[in-house]
Amino acid sequence: MIDWLFFSEIGLAGLGTGGLYALTALGFVLIYKATRVINMAMGEILMLGAYVFMGFTASTLLPIWLSILLAIACTGLIGGVIERVIIRPMLGESEISVFMVTIGLGSVLVGLVELIWGANPQRLIEFIPKEPIFIGEAYLSSKIGYAFVTAAIVLAVFLAIFRTWRGGVALRATAGDQAAAYSMGINVPMVFSSVWVISAMIAAGAGILVGSIGGISPEMGVYGLSVLVVVIVGGLDSLLGALIAGLMVGLIETYAGAYLGGEYKLLATFSLLVLVLILRPYGLFGTHEIERL
Amino acid sequence: MSILKMTRRTAAALLAVGLMGGAVQAQEKKDIVLGGSIPLTGVFAFAGVGVHAGITDATEIINSNGGIEGHKLVYVPEDTGYKVDQSVAVYNKITSQHDVNLYYGDSTAFAKTISPEVERSGKMIMAGASFASELDDPEKYSKIFIPGPTYTEMIGILLKYIAEEKPGAKVGLVHSDTEFGRDPVETAQVQAKELGLNMDLVISTAPGGVDVSTEVLKIRRARPDYVIFHGYVLAPIPEFITQARSMGLDTKFMGTFWSMDNSMVMKMGEVAEGFMGVNPYNYYYSDVENAPMLEKIRSMRDTYQSNAYMQGFFSTMMMAEATRNAIKAGKEINGANIKEGLQAIQDFDTGGIVGIPVSVKGNSVPVGRVYRADVKQQKMVPASDWIRLD
Repeated sequence: MIDWLFFSEIGLAGLGTGGLYALTALGFVLIYKATRVINMAMGEILMLGAYVFMGFTASTLLPIWLSILLAIACTGLIGGVIERVIIRPMLGESEISVFMVTIGLGSVLVGLVELIWGANPQRLIEFIPKEPIFIGEAYLSSKIGYAFVTAAIVLAVFLAIFRTWRGGVALRATAGDQAAAYSMGINVPMVFSSVWVISAMIAAGAGILVGSIGGISPEMGVYGLSVLVVVIVGGLDSLLGALIAGLMVGLIETYAGAYLGGEYKLLATFSLLVLVLILRPYGLFGTHEIERL
Repeated sequence: MSILKMTRRTAAALLAVGLMGGAVQAQEKKDIVLGGSIPLTGVFAFAGVGVHAGITDATEIINSNGGIEGHKLVYVPEDTGYKVDQSVAVYNKITSQHDVNLYYGDSTAFAKTISPEVERSGKMIMAGASFASELDDPEKYSKIFIPGPTYTEMIGILLKYIAEEKPGAKVGLVHSDTEFGRDPVETAQVQAKELGLNMDLVISTAPGGVDVSTEVLKIRRARPDYVIFHGYVLAPIPEFITQARSMGLDTKFMGTFWSMDNSMVMKMGEVAEGFMGVNPYNYYYSDVENAPMLEKIRSMRDTYQSNAYMQGFFSTMMMAEATRNAIKAGKEINGANIKEGLQAIQDFDTGGIVGIPVSVKGNSVPVGRVYRADVKQQKMVPASDWIRLD
């Protein structure tokens, strides 16, 4: 006999987790869409954003909302510097070279955080209301609930921007054909910088949300690997794919954890990945010409 | 032969004898090397840094008191990043450059990997950061030393405490789905049954997972009196407790050694209040009588030192004592004799590192105390007396 209340509560938790996956996946997709770079350091940028937030909350008397904005802005700036100093000189190199550079970048960021803040796990300041949310009789953790709402708003804004805003159109044009975008007067290097800045800002926001739930540590970047699964399932260059795959992976993971046990979570997620790679190697919503590494 | 020649030859002979004598003495009092695969970076760096400091200080104290029966103890560490292949490379490097008799390894996986080599070399015993129950097998791992209770024994100490505090209690076990986390699961259920406790609720959490709502919902349905966490350092324990309390559960939460460091527990904030767990050592700040070693540590370092520090310190003390026993017995300094010296340790006074005299049983030291978090004092305070498992 199915306990429907339990079933619905697990579903809500799964959607919340999926929302966070989708938000982080957005950062991967934006960079890939514009520059054809799979940024393996996305998890570490997310981690850095969470640490920068901790730095602002620990060492100043700034209000939380300002600390969040400053952390997001600082991480965006770091993203821009990374693009200008490390990634742009790699333009024209093979994709695998840039891919390897981002792996190295991840290690550098971990080392940097350990140097500045040490290797100990940390807790972020409690800023999300603790009172649980009840939808009908179904329980939802407040942190997961608020994280889901934030992720949903950010994703909706980006989906809208890409269809209407001039900058979004420039990005889509650059993604479609860089040479043609140049000839039409689009500042392609500026587009590259912009997506790195925006992706780093999104990663910082996701890092603050993830860190406020599970705490932070220099190894927190492995979260990015879980999200890479979401991106591959959804399609590397599809915003909608990131959203749907994020929710799908979140739900599958939590239902597997609830009914089979925590040890089956990763098995379920990677089984989905294998299935999608067999049936649609370019992801559920990705374009067909994506090259696999 | 002239008197001058005779005098020269005699002087030369005396000098040669003197030098040989000195050489023999130097050979007798050779340095005893403690090699270390230490995780100063990587996921276990939070502990590795403390362990390194603990071993360094214990070595300094031992040498300032005349070494180990006149032998200087030399500590040779190197960073492993908490990676087994790197730990093995470090072991090979240190053992090829030094005559190593004592070793500190950084993980269960490393201990299991290197154990055949330690056996083959026959020169040393090895302690480490692992309290894995599997290593507590003197037949299979004859040169291994576990500097405290195994994870199974830690759970045993907690269950013994629970059985006395609330007979027949319902206990949940939440563990990470890692080698570390899975270690005591099967034996814990057997131990609980023997003590008349109910441990039907066993929850495994995926490594790297963020949200724990699903697991907390399971706890809400089972409503255990106690939940023991194993296989974690900090996360996700605070989130578990926060969510459980927001659901109105009055469950008591407990942890094992690696989640019991005072600074880590206090990072949980207010939810730490009442959090309990087992620790085989006194805390840096423990106010206990007859604790000269604790006082010495506090005089050397005036800021809080972690549980990992105590673990490194205790490991070094015990390995040095084992070596001392071997030397006192007039035996060659090698793995078998040092291990024999280790097993001869009975009711050893650690100077306050452990609150009662300790004895080695099998490969471990099955003793510990239950502590409870007092957020107001920002300290872990004793919740039980010292518990020794027979």
